[in-house]
This record gives sequence, C-alpha cells and structure tokens, in this order.
Amino acid sequence: MMDSFWLRLDQGGRAALPAATVVIAALLGAMVWPLPHFGSVMPPLALMAVYYWSLHRPDLLGSGMVFLVGLLNDVIHRLPLGVSALLFVGAHQILFRQRRFFAGHSFFMMWLGFIITVSAVIIAEWVLLSVLNWHVVPVLPVLVQLLFAIAFFPLPCLLLMRLQRLTLNAES
Amino acid sequence: MAVRSRSTGWSYVIAVPWRVMVLRYGFLIFMALALALIIMGRVQPLWIEGARTHTVDTVAPVMDALARPMTLIGNLVKDAHDYVSLRSENEKLRAANAQMKDWQNAVATLQKENHDLRDLLRFKTEPNLAYISARVIADTGGAFARGLIVTAGKLDGVRVGMAATTGDGLIGRVVEVGDWSSRVVLITDLNSRIPVTIAGSGERAILAGDNSPTPKLMFLPQDAVLNPGAAVVTSGHGGVFPPNLPVGTVSEGKGGIYNIAPAADMGRVTYVRLVDFNLQGGAFNPLATKIEAESKNKK
Repeated sequence: MMDSFWLRLDQGGRAALPAATVVIAALLGAMVWPLPHFGSVMPPLALMAVYYWSLHRPDLLGSGMVFLVGLLNDVIHRLPLGVSALLFVGAHQILFRQRRFFAGHSFFMMWLGFIITVSAVIIAEWVLLSVLNWHVVPVLPVLVQLLFAIAFFPLPCLLLMRLQRLTLNAES
Repeated sequence: MAVRSRSTGWSYVIAVPWRVMVLRYGFLIFMALALALIIMGRVQPLWIEGARTHTVDTVAPVMDALARPMTLIGNLVKDAHDYVSLRSENEKLRAANAQMKDWQNAVATLQKENHDLRDLLRFKTEPNLAYISARVIADTGGAFARGLIVTAGKLDGVRVGMAATTGDGLIGRVVEVGDWSSRVVLITDLNSRIPVTIAGSGERAILAGDNSPTPKLMFLPQDAVLNPGAAVVTSGHGGVFPPNLPVGTVSEGKGGIYNIAPAADMGRVTYVRLVDFNLQGGAFNPLATKIEAESKNKK
C-alpha cells in the first residue's frame, strides 16, 4: 500500500516536472542578476522552457499550463494581460504539430527551431504591443534581446536535456 | 464482451470524441480566453490591475528567496572590487573631504542666512520628506518595459505615485502597491513621463522614457539651448514628486532632442528609497485631496 503511494507520488512528481520548470523559468526570467543592465536584455527563459517541453514531452505540458504560465509572465513583466498567454499557447501548438521536424535530429536543428520560434514570438509581441500602446515600441531593445535569446539558448537547453534524462527517461 | 459493451455505451460515444476534440482544439479556447483578457484589460483596466497586484504579492516571497543569493553574490563581487580599489579610493576621498570641509563652512553661513530671510518673508516651507527603504527582488525589464519589484508595500506605508530613488538620484515611480511588495516603473520605461527642471537655466520639460538607457527631454521651449552636463532635477509640478530630486545630467542633443544621462546607475539597483512627499497633508495626491474635499462640500 505504502509502496504504491510512494510510487504514485514519484510518478506524479516526474510528470509535474515540465510544468514546474516552466513556472520556475518564468520567475527566474525576472530575477536580479549581479550583472549591470542584464535585466533589459534578459533572454525569455519561460519561452525557452515552453519550447523545449513542447518538442520533447508535449504530453506533460498541455495548453492550459502554457496559458497559465503566459499569464504569470504577463503579470511579472507588466505586459497587457493575455499577450504572453496568447503567444505562448500559439507557439506551443505550432511546435507540437511540427515537433518531428525539430526534435530528435541534432542540437543544431533544435537551435534553429528556437531561432525561428523566438523571432516569430518576439516580432508578434512587438506588433501586438505597438498596436495596444497605439505607438511604435522602440525596435532596438527588441533586437538586442532577440540576439541575446538566440546566443543564450544552448545553456538552459542543455540543462533541461540533462534534467529530462535524469528524471523522465528513467521512467519510460 | 466487456470491451464491446463499452465501445457501444453512450458515454463512450460522447466522451471519446469529446476528449479528442479537447486535445485537438483545446488550445483555441485558451487563445480565445487570452484575447478576451487583452480586450478586457483595455476596457476594464482596474479589474486587471487588482488581479495583477495580488498575483505579484503572492509570488513576491518566492522571488525574494530567488533574489537573495544573487544579491549576496553581487555584494561579494562589489566588496572584492572595493578592496582592490581601496588605495586610490582613499586618496580620492581625502581630496573630496578637504573640499567638503570648505563647503560645510559655506553651507552653515548660507543656511543661517536662508533661515533668516525665510523668516522675514514668512515663506511656507516644503513638507518634510519621509523615506521607505526597500530591496529589489525582481527586474521586470525585457525588451518592452523597464521596471522593478521591491519588498515594501501597503503595510510599510508605500503608496502609488511615490518617487523611487537611489542615493544618487531618481530612478522611477511606484505604480502598483500590494501588501508587502510594490512595482516601480523606471524613468527609462516607454510609459514614464516626469516633469523636470533644468537646474541653472530653469527651463521646464517632461522627461520621457523610450526603453533606452538615456530618456529624452520633451516639450522644451522651442528656442531652448541646453549645455551638456547641466543638472536636471524634478520640478515638483503636478504635486506628485517632491521638487529638486536629482535626476541626471543633460547629454548632447541630436536634431534638437536632448537626452538625459540618469544620475543613478540604472543597471545595478539593489536597494531603493521610496520618497513620501506631502506626508503631513494626509492623502498623497494633493489634487485628489482637493477633488475629494470639494465633493464632500457639495454633499
């Protein structure tokens, strides 16, 4: 009886891992880093986590969770509520449908996928916010953040890969 | 047999296609929900504001816990740097100290004179300022906004509209206040507008952020020519900010547009001081107080 309880707890914990990492990434994305001006070029960590799990374990990260994390991201960054949620759910869905193309080939293929995803999301976000603010949001900081996001991607990606190998693959 | 009876059962006929539908098209519901929220944020911004403040208050302790080790590392790096530059810093401070002593004498004389003259004129003095210190737990920047979340809220006496400063100068304004956390929009943020005065010439302007590290001066008089390096201070117009808080210095203008180099190091803010202006006046915003008083009179 106890064994089955611990087993279920263990399995539940492992299954909750993608959702937990996405939430933690959203919080870490707003952290104060001991590097000057890093906050203004902070890569979108939440989007990276959503990207990774949408390709590798979409069964453990549903649209509902992605939507909630998007809302959390909006609240933390004081964006109009719903903007990140809309973009994250859209990206998650497209990635889920196209995952055979990007996942399981090579790391560079995955990186390329991320470059396309993050570019599309940031450009869409820029358009949405420009429309909602009713004036053009400056482009330069957006481009700088995009470049940082692309350059920074391998680090969180490798961490997530390691995490997945340690916990989720052992189960299956 | 059991399988067959299940596959023909009504629940199976309805439930399975329903589940498939949800899996396949569930995202559409969430996208529609997100769109509805965006629209609601435009139509009823106050509802969304309230929900946002509560959520930030809820996640603030977690962010605080995440921020602590980083603050520690930042302090260690700063300490190490300070030790390295100890000798040269000491020399500089000695020189500064000698200069300060001269100033101190001058200030004492001027203060006395100022006090006497104010007495003569029955000048109404500014209300005293009170400060609330808070630690920064989140840098909510990114490509589209510039802001901070700090560890002081309603329970500490923080109110919307307070000026946020570091020791060096103004950095922003409090826009949301939860019970124990509040949000500061920096002067570099796209939506930040602050009335300022150029010290010396007395020109008035609005300091407008554009998400770049150097906000620009807007609504300067047409013929205004500013000297690069001139100090910029808050004007106190509008009654929201106390006057004469240092903001920064004028940097060179391109095409008639002047920018400001903020006095505070905006990239490295770990602690902020929230300035409570008009403390004795009761309610924070003098304009709001006036409107409130008038509406009471009418009743």
